[in-house]
Amino acid sequence: MSENILELNNIVKTFPGVIALKNVSMSVRRNEILGLVGENGAGKSTLMKILIGLYQPDSGEFLLRGEPAMLKDPDSAMRAGIGMVFQEGCMIPNLTVMENIFLSHEENFRKYGLLSRSSMVREANKVLSAVKLHVDPNTLVAELSAADKQMVEIARLLWLLRQYGQENPILILDEPTTVLLREEVQTLFEILTELKKSASIVFISHRLEEVIENTDRIVILKDGEFVKEMPSHEADMARVEGLLVGHGFSDDRYHESDQNEPADEIMLEVKDLVHEGQFAPISFTLRRGEVLSLVGLIGSGKEEVCRCLSGLAPADGGTVAVQGKRAFIRTPKDAIRAGIGYIPVDRRSDGLALDLNVEENINLLVLKKYQTGPFSNLKSEHQNAKFWVKENNIKTPSLRTRTANLSGGNQQKVVLSKWLSSSVKVLIVDHPTRGIDVGAKDEIYRRLRSLSDEGMSIIVMCDTLEEDIGLSHRMIIMKDGAFVREVPCPRSEKPRPVDIIGYVV
Amino acid sequence: MSGEPTPAAGEKKPLLVNRKRQFPAIYFALGLLVLFIVLFSIGNKGFLSAYNVRNIGMSASILLAVGLGQVCTILTGGIDLSVGGLMSLVSVLFMVLLPMVGYWAYPICILVGVFAGYLNGNLLSRVRIPSFIATLGTGGIFVSVAYLISPVAISAPKAIQPLLEIVNGTTFGVRNILIIGALMFVGFLVLERYTIIGRHIFYVGSNVRMSWLSGLNVTRIKNVAFSLSGFGAAVAGIMLASRQYSGYPTIGTVYILNSIATVVVGGTAMTGGAGGALNTLIGAIIMSVLQNGMTVVGIDVYFQQTLLGLLIILSVAVTFDRSKLAIIK
Repeated sequence: MSENILELNNIVKTFPGVIALKNVSMSVRRNEILGLVGENGAGKSTLMKILIGLYQPDSGEFLLRGEPAMLKDPDSAMRAGIGMVFQEGCMIPNLTVMENIFLSHEENFRKYGLLSRSSMVREANKVLSAVKLHVDPNTLVAELSAADKQMVEIARLLWLLRQYGQENPILILDEPTTVLLREEVQTLFEILTELKKSASIVFISHRLEEVIENTDRIVILKDGEFVKEMPSHEADMARVEGLLVGHGFSDDRYHESDQNEPADEIMLEVKDLVHEGQFAPISFTLRRGEVLSLVGLIGSGKEEVCRCLSGLAPADGGTVAVQGKRAFIRTPKDAIRAGIGYIPVDRRSDGLALDLNVEENINLLVLKKYQTGPFSNLKSEHQNAKFWVKENNIKTPSLRTRTANLSGGNQQKVVLSKWLSSSVKVLIVDHPTRGIDVGAKDEIYRRLRSLSDEGMSIIVMCDTLEEDIGLSHRMIIMKDGAFVREVPCPRSEKPRPVDIIGYVV
Repeated sequence: MSGEPTPAAGEKKPLLVNRKRQFPAIYFALGLLVLFIVLFSIGNKGFLSAYNVRNIGMSASILLAVGLGQVCTILTGGIDLSVGGLMSLVSVLFMVLLPMVGYWAYPICILVGVFAGYLNGNLLSRVRIPSFIATLGTGGIFVSVAYLISPVAISAPKAIQPLLEIVNGTTFGVRNILIIGALMFVGFLVLERYTIIGRHIFYVGSNVRMSWLSGLNVTRIKNVAFSLSGFGAAVAGIMLASRQYSGYPTIGTVYILNSIATVVVGGTAMTGGAGGALNTLIGAIIMSVLQNGMTVVGIDVYFQQTLLGLLIILSVAVTFDRSKLAIIK
């Protein structure tokens, strides 16, 4: 009996323009807890989705218990003994705990053709005690804490895997500890150690300390490639961090050589901005033409700060001033009026009207500007759109093409054009290159660089530390809702990701 | 990582992805119209007579008026089920007011319609009741108010019949009702293409979250859409009362379904964001041709309902944007 319950050899997976996984090889052994680490975009999610049958690899070998695995969907993966608990949670909030655990498997509790709630309760209690969770199975999931919800999902996964009776099932847990308190993390690892005796666990997490302490082996992915594997007892923070983000700094990938000093004029002044429960009072300034990156893990508060600045959520206190003028921002409209624009991370749901064409999307914010009298001047709108298509190199058959039909990179450029058309002075850019192919990424870097040269002040949050360092003049690191440190990123002396990561995690 | 298909090795990366739904619904609607006209004229030679065509035009004008209002709400992704009740209320109110205030009855009834629509809009945008439910409720209220004003039909006494010439008369040889219909069409077309508020309706219908993020006043836009629906229903109610020389609480009932059919058969998607005045014009003509033609050719009245229902289902199936998977409100 081989030690490897699961083997991936030279797995390749591509999406239009993006190679998500480049010849990744990895194995999962029996009775182990394997830690999987990597930055956003490293390929962890893609790899796991292949394991549970959501994606099919383009090439490579996937062996499960010595046999080639034929997993066409998550259901077949479950039957084969592989299951996953997703980071975002996958339960139905208006059903009870036990109804969620036994969802779609209710036939096990049939008595005389009807559902026997008493046997469900009994079985649910058994399942819940295995994960040391003491809740009434009749509680509505919506009423549970995030931590308890997590444990219910793990309980469900365990029960399902037992149902299918495969030996040494594999549980994949995606960032389970982000919602847990310290004691709860302890409990979780106690349970996992117990579980290890008859199963394998793949543990994905950003919290390197935890991973090193509680796993048997660690696998590190970076940019879709397998970097290294090491026994956890041989690992230390510095070493793992270095491998995670890379030691070097790519030559001019972010056009750093074109980075110019920002002007002195202060465009944005944030003083003691605070949102209860999300981030502590934070203050910073932004000069004309400066690019500031906000860096931090999920829960650091950086996303919430941007939400307050762009009007998606009202802050509880503090002041915001644009070019010296006080701004009261409670809705996106207020933010736009103050001169702050927001390019969302999810361009399809938040950035574009997919039914409408390129021209209509680009002109949304400037309809009033291009009017003759009370009516729209379609000709000037058309000119405006034409200008931006050329300026941002948007590849589209025509201005009247529905934006739904454009590729991701071009859609992103349309969103950018829309905001640049209006007279924003500060642009908040949320993960500008997520899900975008290499060629378009470069164009976006170039564009952001030229924008900052032209005097646009930019706050950016990127997918990787490298991108944050490369694009910005300076960086603010946040952790657990508070300001940690400010790090200058001058053209001549860019800090290395490995030096920064310590403050972030 | 959004599920876009992977191109085969060696294949050039496509400029466009997702080529589905390129076929404009309006061609589908025009095709249907031509088909029906051909079928009915074969079925009955009198179908294309000047007299019959004018009849079709006149009933189309009423459908057009209420349909243009309805399309505004459907474009935002909602629906107005109160148009029938509002038309009935306006017809009764109109007949009551004419003897009392003469020509003032016209602007008063229109204002009542706009206000009723504004009420619907606020129920949706401020009180946050889905438009499907809200307008179902207000429709019932409008009918009740009509009954309160007059439980029986009110006929137009001989004395005030001249006041109905605004709809029933002719100008330069063309029936006024047709002119009003045409004016409404032009008005709504200008609104949807050349005014900001009209175009904002499309943005909201296509992606309401993005609209909000871009600073659009979604509340106001929805209120305007529903006010326009009230306006359309009021005009249609006046037209109907004028033509029938009477107003009664059930005069508009059939228009709840017919206004939606007009919008949908013309190719406007119930999911919002696509379609508009031109589609509604074609839809109104199709509906009118269909109803007139089926009667002229001799199809059983009950079977007519069946055919109409099938047509609606077919039109929605073709135009519905399943990627939105929105529940119709």
